[in-house]
Amino acid sequence: MEALSDEMIMQKVADGNLDLLKVLFDRHHKHVYNFLYKMSGNRMLSEDLTQDVFYKLIKYRDSYNNGSFLSWLFTIARNSLKTHYTRNHKSHEDIEVLAYKAVEEEQEVMENNAQLQHALNQLDPSDRELVILNRFKEIKYEDLAEMMGSTPGAIKTKVCRILKKLKHIYLENL
Amino acid sequence: MENKHVLDQIPDYLDGTLDNETMKAVEDHLTNCMECQKELEEMRVLFKAFEEEKTTVPSDRLKAQFEEVLEQEKSLQGNVVHMTQDKKSSWANNILKVAASIALLVASFQMGSVFQQKKVDKEIALLKDETDHMKQTAMLSLMENQSASKRIQGVSYIEEFENPDEAIIQALANRLLNDENDNVRLTAFEALSKFTSSEKVKNVLIEALEKEKNPSIQVAIIQTLVQIQEKKAAEPMKRLLEQEDTQPFIKEQIKAVLPSIT
Repeated sequence: MEALSDEMIMQKVADGNLDLLKVLFDRHHKHVYNFLYKMSGNRMLSEDLTQDVFYKLIKYRDSYNNGSFLSWLFTIARNSLKTHYTRNHKSHEDIEVLAYKAVEEEQEVMENNAQLQHALNQLDPSDRELVILNRFKEIKYEDLAEMMGSTPGAIKTKVCRILKKLKHIYLENL
Repeated sequence: MENKHVLDQIPDYLDGTLDNETMKAVEDHLTNCMECQKELEEMRVLFKAFEEEKTTVPSDRLKAQFEEVLEQEKSLQGNVVHMTQDKKSSWANNILKVAASIALLVASFQMGSVFQQKKVDKEIALLKDETDHMKQTAMLSLMENQSASKRIQGVSYIEEFENPDEAIIQALANRLLNDENDNVRLTAFEALSKFTSSEKVKNVLIEALEKEKNPSIQVAIIQTLVQIQEKKAAEPMKRLLEQEDTQPFIKEQIKAVLPSIT
């Protein structure tokens, strides 16, 4: 089973073999979690959202369209994150809660002593997302293009540009 | 080469994802281009940082919860599969059921209409019988009426019957033999002359020939008897010839036709 590609496994899952979702979960949940954590800087939120992503995988398994599994998985992850932020924005969270969250996030950044994370946080969310997806998960340009609705060439150029920018910020702060 | 910086290829170069030809070109360029070398080194630092970046590990709670939900979904899926199978088979069943009920409906409709038809036929036959009976009664009672015209009307009712029964024939015969009115007797004769195939009618006609005094009726009877070649009529005809009171032109008539039936 380990030798099978994500796509083949997901196809079997869509056909009703739900047990195989465990294989996909084991393979990818850390990546999803890390992506969400690096995007949000919030452990609890990232865990909840990761949970959410895999629930959706179960729920919408029938809508899997045989495309790249990673694209599909991270598209769900991105949407979950987006939905979370939109919802929180709409609900007008109490100002104290927001303040508390900011402190918490700052503490975590300090704990990890993460210069890179700091540099990443300077980027636009969309740029940050792209570079996180590309660097940490090593998602290919093709898959990224599928996710973003773009072409591999354009994505490559964009990633290069963002990396240069990020490198600049990172080196400045060292 | 010198002016064509390979800055855009550096990330891929570090990842080792370039194809051999491009890789070689980038390497060639890097040996000569300080700017690109600097970019390469800087990028290498950044990439190192990415590699060293701690990947945070989610708690075990995540996996436990996921597997719990998965089990729930699996038990649900069992039901769902069961239900969908049910659905499919019941879909097929429904088609069969619908077809069967349509067939039943058509069959019962057909059967019903057949029975109805039979019943109606029976009823019509019954009604026809009844009307025939009524007509017969009416006819017979009319024939006994005081008024001659009513009796004629009754006799004329014979038109209504295709196969008149004994009672009617007898009633007509009575009229022909016994009625005092010439017209009634003539009408009765005309009615009976349609049924000359009956032996009883023949006998009645012969009897009437002997009894009849009205010349025109006599002539009609004679003509009919000759027409049906009734041999038994020969004797009464001869007797008529011998009788004194027989009209001369009747005798002539008899003389003319007698050879043809004897």
